[in-house]
Amino acid sequence: MSFSPCFSRRHFLAQQGIAGATLAIASIMQQRSVGVPPKPSLSPPSNDLKPKPSHFPAQAKAMISMFMQGGPSHMDLFDRKPELEKRNGENYSGELKYDNAAESSAKIWSGPWKWDRYGQCGMELSELVPHLGAIADDVTLIRSMHTGVNNHGQSIYALHHGRITAGRPVLGSWLTYGLGSESQQLPSFVVLTDPGGLPVLGTDCWSNGWLPSLYQGTVIRPQEPRILNLNPPPHLAGGPQKAYLQLLQKLNAEHLAMHPYESDLQARMSTYELAEAMQSAAREALDFHQETEATHKMYGLDQDATREYGTRCLIARRLVERGVRFVQIYTSTQQWDHHGNIKDALPAACKKTDQPSAALVMDLKQRGLLDSTLVHWGGEMGRLPVVQNEKNVGRDHNTYGFSTWLAGGGIKQGVVFGETDDFGYQAVKDIVHHYDYHATIMYLFGLDPSQLTFARPGGVGTLLDGQPGRIVNEILKNPKPA
Amino acid sequence: MIRICFARAFKDAVGSSGLRTPSVRGCVWTVCTVASVLTVAHLQRCWLWDAPWGGMVSVVAAEEPLVNPPAKPEAEQVPIYFETHIRPILKTHCFHCHGEADHKESGLDLRLARLMQSGGEGGPVVLPNQPEASLVWNRVEAGEMPPGGKTLSASEKELLHRWIATGAKTKREEPLQPMVEQWTEEERSYWLFQPVQVTKLDGLHEIGSEPVLSNNPIDLFLLQKMQPAGLTFSPSADRSVLIRRLAMDLLGVPPTPEEVASFVSDGSPDAYERLVDRMLADPRYGEHWGRHWLDVAGYADSDGYTEQDIERPWAYQYRDYVIRAFNDDLPIDQFVVEQMAGDELVPQPWENLSPENIQRLAATGFLRTAPDGTGQEGVEPNVARNDIIAETVKIVSGSLLGLTVGCAQCHDHRYDPISQVDYYRLRAILEPGLDWKQWRDKPAKQVNLWTAEERQKAADVDKELSELEGKRVAELDTIVADIFEKEVMKLPEDQREAARAAKATAADKRTPEQQKLMRDYPSLNVDRGSASLYDGARINEFNKKYETQQSEIKSKRPADRYLAGFSEVPNQAPTTYVFFRGDIQQPREPVLPGGLSILGEHDKIPADDPAIPTTGRRLAFARHLVTGVHPLFARAMVNRIWMHHFGRGIASMPGDLGVLGDKPTHVELLDYLANQLAEYQWSRKRFQRMLLSSHAYRQSSLQSPQAREVDPENRLLSHRSVRRMQAESVRDSMLSASGMISYSMFGKPVAVNPDEVGQIILGNATRDGNGILVAKQEETESVYRRSVYAQVRRSMPLGVLEPFDPASTAPNCDRRGNSTVATQSLLMMNNSSVIKLSEHFAKRVQREVGEEPREQVRRAWSLAFGMSPSEEQLQTSTEWLIAQRRALTKPVAEAASGAGSGEGSASEGSVAGASAVSATASGPGAETGVAAGTLEPAAANLQSLAMYCQALYSSNAFLYVD
Repeated sequence: MSFSPCFSRRHFLAQQGIAGATLAIASIMQQRSVGVPPKPSLSPPSNDLKPKPSHFPAQAKAMISMFMQGGPSHMDLFDRKPELEKRNGENYSGELKYDNAAESSAKIWSGPWKWDRYGQCGMELSELVPHLGAIADDVTLIRSMHTGVNNHGQSIYALHHGRITAGRPVLGSWLTYGLGSESQQLPSFVVLTDPGGLPVLGTDCWSNGWLPSLYQGTVIRPQEPRILNLNPPPHLAGGPQKAYLQLLQKLNAEHLAMHPYESDLQARMSTYELAEAMQSAAREALDFHQETEATHKMYGLDQDATREYGTRCLIARRLVERGVRFVQIYTSTQQWDHHGNIKDALPAACKKTDQPSAALVMDLKQRGLLDSTLVHWGGEMGRLPVVQNEKNVGRDHNTYGFSTWLAGGGIKQGVVFGETDDFGYQAVKDIVHHYDYHATIMYLFGLDPSQLTFARPGGVGTLLDGQPGRIVNEILKNPKPA
Repeated sequence: MIRICFARAFKDAVGSSGLRTPSVRGCVWTVCTVASVLTVAHLQRCWLWDAPWGGMVSVVAAEEPLVNPPAKPEAEQVPIYFETHIRPILKTHCFHCHGEADHKESGLDLRLARLMQSGGEGGPVVLPNQPEASLVWNRVEAGEMPPGGKTLSASEKELLHRWIATGAKTKREEPLQPMVEQWTEEERSYWLFQPVQVTKLDGLHEIGSEPVLSNNPIDLFLLQKMQPAGLTFSPSADRSVLIRRLAMDLLGVPPTPEEVASFVSDGSPDAYERLVDRMLADPRYGEHWGRHWLDVAGYADSDGYTEQDIERPWAYQYRDYVIRAFNDDLPIDQFVVEQMAGDELVPQPWENLSPENIQRLAATGFLRTAPDGTGQEGVEPNVARNDIIAETVKIVSGSLLGLTVGCAQCHDHRYDPISQVDYYRLRAILEPGLDWKQWRDKPAKQVNLWTAEERQKAADVDKELSELEGKRVAELDTIVADIFEKEVMKLPEDQREAARAAKATAADKRTPEQQKLMRDYPSLNVDRGSASLYDGARINEFNKKYETQQSEIKSKRPADRYLAGFSEVPNQAPTTYVFFRGDIQQPREPVLPGGLSILGEHDKIPADDPAIPTTGRRLAFARHLVTGVHPLFARAMVNRIWMHHFGRGIASMPGDLGVLGDKPTHVELLDYLANQLAEYQWSRKRFQRMLLSSHAYRQSSLQSPQAREVDPENRLLSHRSVRRMQAESVRDSMLSASGMISYSMFGKPVAVNPDEVGQIILGNATRDGNGILVAKQEETESVYRRSVYAQVRRSMPLGVLEPFDPASTAPNCDRRGNSTVATQSLLMMNNSSVIKLSEHFAKRVQREVGEEPREQVRRAWSLAFGMSPSEEQLQTSTEWLIAQRRALTKPVAEAASGAGSGEGSASEGSVAGASAVSATASGPGAETGVAAGTLEPAAANLQSLAMYCQALYSSNAFLYVD
């Protein structure tokens, strides 16, 4: 075997895989008594989306990841640095790694935003994220994230699939590969892209890599048809497609009458019925009619700034409610990449995301879903403590220390974990590398990443790919027993 | 009995969910052939995979009838012998440690019953008649053996117990010592290893009172098996059915209505034969049948192996060779010799090659299809090289011998009589061209097809380019210097000189003061790479200037023309070693090239051919296979051709005719066909003519109740089995019916790329508004080319083919899967390509017959199904069309205002943005189907017809071939 056995890009719907059939036969054949020794099957081990047991008890069943592409400025939002305030305007004395040399400077800059303590836990946060403040007692804020590759693409790859180069299966693919789907009719790994465009790495962000394609993320598009192949284009939606299916049914029934014993023909007719059921399940998941006014308001659907992003957060909750395993929400391309104009652009980005993101946590909590749903909020990097472009102040890239928050799914509540240095440049205490982050998530899902493997040329493929991922026990309600 | 269980189990497993019919996903999975697997990790996996996980397949005993026999009580007391019952179990589970290896665990050798009785370090392990006192039974019973969590099945244990209890008998006297490649009588008597029998046809003609429907011996062979089951053939199929069947089987696209009409009305007695001849002469035949062979060869336009999946820009030359070979009816013997050793037929050096010699070299692309990780990042080169060899051995053995030999890479084959040494003999045939210790990278293996003149021209151009590059870099450095000087001028005056000095000093030679200065003013660090950040406009202009000049010069360069074939370095042959446990780091004894020992062919391939500078091993091997009627090669070849015409092989696993495969339903017929193929001088077309002229091929799909009862799987071929089109045919047939199909042949593949959601479509990737590379659906001629010309990227299967079980490329595909899943239905319902083609189909129908609904229905039927609707069907369809037109048309009162949506094209919907609700009920008449339409009459007519056409595409009458 070289590439994966069925290197197929078949989408989630292949869950009616043959595995069941094979197993059924196996058990029947096993009951068969003497004869000749049994032979191994010539069929490949099949992959499907049937629910699978975890390696040990799972604390999280689903995950919603809000990926803030571009790199939110941690020292302006989550990681207050008095040293910056003290030395504002002075030259930074150490080495810094810049992305943009032309606009670079060594001048330390302390943002203009106020800080306050939130919640019982007293989490110190910027005035730009007050809604996060309201759920501070539910989250763990990690201030010591680290990928160490100073550009977006590589760092996004690292956080999505463990390495800095393209082509590997992303976290959502691994989780669905390992655990299958809880939903019979919805895709198990869903991606909600921003109307502003695809993430900077395009479709690589939900790639199944070398895992079979049914573990690829399914995109819910911002425009019709929302799910390609699962929704018809607008001009065929509803009545016209119904009429088409009725006609098809008639044509097939006539054909079947001429071939009464061909079971495959009948099976194909029922796949159209199943397809229809899947379509309506997807339609129902996206239909907010049943949601209350209060819910609409909570997610900010009544405000221009938050409506679009809030809609996707609400969709994410509805999907998780319906058994979807992994939902990935993206902000538009590099929305948080504030090389310049940070004074206006950072508040705007916060305005768009803060309320809906917090609402998602609150909503999951009030529905009793937060305990089993891991929520992630964060980007692939933070920013530098110095000014980029004095004419239009911004901050350059920093992947050596940045912040991310997690909630639910077995994560401790009201905790701040890890530290960066006095300037917020490098994570220095309790560093959480991307592979530690992955190891921790896998643990919460009851998976041992070294056991969840896929046969590959030259060995087996894993999410951690041999990196020393540490389960960050300190942020878990139920740490891994020693 | 077993068969019934099987069929029923399938139905139970799938019927309850109503989702899937029996099918095999992807290709036949070889049991432990993992090429990549020369590591410890591999061995572990291999061990696991040896285990009978998942579905066990029943062995069809030689005597077992093909059809459901009357139930009879299980024969409890069949005598149990070592050779027949016990040795296969021990061979599977135990020989590896207790027999084959030099070091025998506990000094115990289980390969002979006598050795079990004499025992190992712990004494005898078998005491006849005393299973409870026999160590082998105790250890197995306790689950201690085999180790590692693997256990014998209940039935295996029972056999072992009964064998000891009944005296631990052998069938015949055993040799004193087990010998390698001393195959037992059971192994040697396996049907596949017998010479191809010449069957006397005389007896066949006396088949009962059955009216003989044709003189074709095929029919006689089949009838002979049918009669005892009380079955006979179905009547001949209608002509309209026959022509569609033939067209789909031979060309992969449906016949035109005109072809159907002309055949149906052709009164001449040889109308059918002439039709077959016409189709065999049609160039589309080579595209369709060539694709079958490309499956087996594992053809791909990319390397696979790692996630980089590097493209193979010249692989298509092999694809084109195959298509030509089929169209030209290149005799199969020659076809195989050229693919295995075309390079050894063409004298080196390879310059100014004749067209024939170019074809011979292109043919060796057959040996270059395996996934290739060499030269890729993060890949252990020696592992990757050996993986290529292993995969190529697999492809060669599966395709030409009909056997999976991969198991024998690590140890003797557990099921078939293929020794580990056999495996390495086969490897030795290929290894001179894949010398992993003196590896040639891809460019070194390419054959440049340039003429001497073109070479000279290219060298001139390259020189010119390199001169220009020198100029470019020099100019860029002056720009960088300018920029730096500007940055310097931003510094306080007293620091400028220091800055210039610091910059002039290499970074690692700078003084602490200089380092601090560069840190304080980081923008001083301008270089060639970052210059554009400082002065984008100037760099843009600079780049444009040089790019223009470069492309002007490059345009004078002759276009690259390469062949990526297989070759050996003359007079250089590595020694092939048996690798202990398949581990490349543990070479043991050297081996010489050879065929399989079970056939006595282990010494039939000379290690060197003195007549040519290369070893000639491949040439000798290929010639050996095509000399006479080779029992494996000839059977494997005819079995495949049969499979493509009849839906399943006479042996249903074409890549594994061994014990793990399925015994042939008609051994004598298989042998007859193998002889015939040789008799026809290996002419594929002549051979196919014979198959196609049989009544078995021409009979209708009507199934008798009797057949339904006793032979539900139709293994006896008492009627034609309805078959779903293969992936390429689904797409090509839609293209054909729509009239959009392009029949341009050969050449570079049509690129595939991910679209905005990651679905793989045909077309080039371009940058979207945000600069992200995505492919958009194009309307160019090339996207309407036949599917065989779509690029085969191992990591990017084409979205419209993928749900319909296209060929696996990991590394090759012996047999396509045949799944029935909802993804296929969703594709037919909603895929934008399908919808687009439905519109083209509708427009074609409008162009050809106008707006009259009855005529539209008739035309659409004949284009899609090659037949006319019955009056009742015509009526139903017409009513449906009229109703749809009405439903979609804007009420008359409103018709004057507002524009319709043009031609009802499948353009993207409006941005739904924040309103998820709007996503739920868009389109005319959501849910109810009775809401008022919005279209102008002309647009409504087109859209109704397009929906009608889409329903025809989606229907079983289209997707299945009768």
